[in-house]
Amino acid sequence: MDLILNIAVDGVAYGMILFMIAVGLSVTMGLMRVVNLAHGGFALLGGAFAHWLGTDAGLGFWVAAPLAIAAVVVIALPLERLIYRRIYGFGELQQVLATIGLTFLMIATVNRWQGSTLLPIALPDMLKQTVDLGFRQLTAHRAAVIIVGFAVIGALWLLLDRTRFGIRLRASVDNRDTASSLGINTGRIYMLTFALGAGLAALGGILGAELLPIDAYYPLRYMVLFLIVVAIGGMGSILGSFIAALSIGIVETASRYLLPEAATILFFGLVILFLALRPKGIMGRA
Amino acid sequence: MSRLILPLALLAVVTVAAYVLFPFNLAFLTRILIMIVLVMSLELVLGFAGIATLGQAAMYGAGAYAAGLFAIHVWADPIAGLLVGAVAGAALAVLSGLVLMRTTGLTLIMLTIAVAQICAEIANRARDVTGGADGLRGIRMQPVLGMFEFDFIGKTGFWYAAAVAFVIFIALAILSRSPFGLSLKGIHESPERMEAIGVSVYWRRVTAYVLGGGIAGLAGALTAQITQLVSLETFSFTLSAEALIMLILGGTGRLYGPIIGTVIFMWVHHTAAANDPFNWLFVIGGMVLAVVFFLPQGLVQLPTSLTRLVKKGGEHAGS
Amino acid sequence: MKIKTTLAIGLATTILAGAAWADEIKVGVITPFSGPFAQYGTQYQQAIETYVALHGTTAGEHEISFIYKDVGGVNPDQARSLAQELLIKEQVDYLAGFTFTPNALAVGPVITQSETPTVIFNAATSAINKESDYYLRTSYTLWQVSVPMAEWAYDQGIRQVVTTVTDYGPGIDAENAFKAAFEAKGGEVIDSIRMPLSTTDFTPILQSVKDQAPDAVFTFLPGGPPTFTYTKTYIENGLKDAGIMFLGTAETEETNLQGFGDLGIGLTTAYHYSSAHESEANAEFLAKLAELHPDAIANWASVGAYDGVHLIYEMVAAAGSDGPAALEAAKGLEWESPRGPLVMDPETRTVVQNVYLREVERNADGLLQNTEKSVIANVGDLGWSN
Repeated sequence: MDLILNIAVDGVAYGMILFMIAVGLSVTMGLMRVVNLAHGGFALLGGAFAHWLGTDAGLGFWVAAPLAIAAVVVIALPLERLIYRRIYGFGELQQVLATIGLTFLMIATVNRWQGSTLLPIALPDMLKQTVDLGFRQLTAHRAAVIIVGFAVIGALWLLLDRTRFGIRLRASVDNRDTASSLGINTGRIYMLTFALGAGLAALGGILGAELLPIDAYYPLRYMVLFLIVVAIGGMGSILGSFIAALSIGIVETASRYLLPEAATILFFGLVILFLALRPKGIMGRA
Repeated sequence: MSRLILPLALLAVVTVAAYVLFPFNLAFLTRILIMIVLVMSLELVLGFAGIATLGQAAMYGAGAYAAGLFAIHVWADPIAGLLVGAVAGAALAVLSGLVLMRTTGLTLIMLTIAVAQICAEIANRARDVTGGADGLRGIRMQPVLGMFEFDFIGKTGFWYAAAVAFVIFIALAILSRSPFGLSLKGIHESPERMEAIGVSVYWRRVTAYVLGGGIAGLAGALTAQITQLVSLETFSFTLSAEALIMLILGGTGRLYGPIIGTVIFMWVHHTAAANDPFNWLFVIGGMVLAVVFFLPQGLVQLPTSLTRLVKKGGEHAGS
Repeated sequence: MKIKTTLAIGLATTILAGAAWADEIKVGVITPFSGPFAQYGTQYQQAIETYVALHGTTAGEHEISFIYKDVGGVNPDQARSLAQELLIKEQVDYLAGFTFTPNALAVGPVITQSETPTVIFNAATSAINKESDYYLRTSYTLWQVSVPMAEWAYDQGIRQVVTTVTDYGPGIDAENAFKAAFEAKGGEVIDSIRMPLSTTDFTPILQSVKDQAPDAVFTFLPGGPPTFTYTKTYIENGLKDAGIMFLGTAETEETNLQGFGDLGIGLTTAYHYSSAHESEANAEFLAKLAELHPDAIANWASVGAYDGVHLIYEMVAAAGSDGPAALEAAKGLEWESPRGPLVMDPETRTVVQNVYLREVERNADGLLQNTEKSVIANVGDLGWSN
């Protein structure tokens, strides 16, 4: 019984961290239909800023983290104008190549700026405590990630389904020309959505750093993991990414409790099996 | 075939020139040749048939381990080893392709990555057979064709790899003009139309994937025989991604693409890494972006673009 | 120098143009300077420059220079082709560096054929030195540090241990070494968990360790992100508070040590070098290093390179560019290193050295350091015959 509870708690906590990082990718890749391999790069930038602001500039976590996210958004806006805007119309492979090139530049920049060692982000004391769940302990940090994760999916649902911005965004994505002719400023919608995706990446990078520590090569190291979450969830579905992240978290955690040695093979085997049976993912549209 | 004579002669001249001009860098040139073979396999899979993959290293690694193990335990003849590598690559491609070729787009890309990761993990876990993370060691090859001993400077290795690259180049050139090659291009452009005229898109894609897998296995076997060691990195995502970058850099659709892309990427990497290793990613990143934006068809497009630019300039001057 | 003669005949004209001075000795250093492991290159280069600044550029009558080559990461193809390039084009007489086992193994046939002494600064698999007589190792082997750890743990009254190692060559070496030594003493390894290389969340593994309630947990992980996450998870999940002792080796190495913060205090490791080692040789090394590179942090990779260069200087002074003679000169050589006394074992060609039991503490400046608590003197490569 304890084992099942352990798997549930650790699986959800891990899955939520995956979701936090992958949800931004789901926004750019799913909603905007651009294969954005540079997503991890924005998470890296967020983490690097948070490290720098916290360690070198001496700011507290609660100040450093929002500032770091803001900084990433500020960088993302001109990048969208200069680079992404041009590649929306490209084929998938060109998009892959362009965003890999961009990722290389981001890695090289952080490498030059902060070196190739780990960039730890100091957590506030509040998040370092442990919460007693009765049958075991959980770190406050993971509890916080679970709460923020639910908050993010709630906020995104409100934003996309219940606001004018959301309606316009869906209209722009479904048919850009029609949307423009109806007077929607599609350029601005795309730019804002992209910035949202980048901001979420930064948030995920910072909050997930306890599990996926930040260093210059972060984007390449975890690229496959993020892509798997989006592929399993189905392109274009925030809810799909959410379910996928939690399922992956629970499956991986269960295999690590029960059969740690076979965990990798089991994990990728299940990914293949699932995608072969449901190529469009959990919530994918045909 | 006659149309092939001029390009082949040109390539032969370039190969000999490289040998004469860089006698101290034969080992590096050999690595380029092996990489060209791998990138040509990707050209067949992606350029001809339009199968987007980020897992070509799976077949490369399978070929490398198969050739290495064959040389250690069965027979150390290089040519036999090459065949074993090709068969291993093709076999893995059949096994995975039957499932993979039912999908497209991002799903297909993810599946190809997953296959390569599973292969790496199996090789890691089968330590007693593969040496695990330490690498498969103890590969000692017999002379090529019983005559040419693998030498210290790498002369034999260079000509051996060059010969394989030539054979594959010719094979692909012939294939691209064959009915099968043309049908692949048709599938690439419009799978629906090909299906409508009665072509089994699925089986053609599987066939292309298996042929590509065989060539990738061949490249892996070459590397196993020349380095005399196989590591888990032969399955790495980085290798698949780099091969893809080289292909798109050079340009798909023409057989020169893989050669130009590979040579330029590896040469830039080599030079940049030698001069300022810490910052070489800036150079590669910038180069990749520049190609995407200014030469979307890859570097093979460069002469055409330049000619057009010059012509345009000429017209303006004339008017 | 048979190879060079053959070469000189084959490529006579070009060789003549680039002929090196007879008394100029070149050393080729192959290691990552780019990619995720670039830190190794930085550590080696800083240590080599420090050695040269302290001891000059000459050994005996010979002038020594270094050529650095970037191998990028685990890449045996590249390592081998760089070694060939260094030997043929640059005419180096010694090779050095080698962070990863496959890269070191890949040059085996090349160095045997060209009779080039090759000093390994890091790669820690015992079996490497069996592949060629020309390998010399100034780092350590996993058996060398894991066995003392096991014996010390038993002496401290620890009877039940769970081992958790990353599921790849070095991890399994560490597990085997610890288990053999601990069980020989009479202790019990109640569970051995092998963690996949791709593990990012260690909570499940450490939670099952906690549930088994052993006296201690022994671990080995590759450096970088996994080590960092594992150690944090160990502390945050209350294993430390539950009295399950942490037994590690390289986990608390200096370049990432400060990142642990207060949580790191009290971690126990057995290892051959701590930058807090108190000796004249270490003080001299650290002072010069800080003078040349104010931001540098000395760790095991630094002393591996520093001592490696010392070994090369001694070989050059004794034998110049004569590989086999240099090798003989190296065997049995004794010297005082920043980590303590060293002897180059003639049989295993890995240094015999002290292994220290350390605990992470805050020093007078408020920084974390590995404080040496006890010494197991003169440990050789215990993995050689296993």
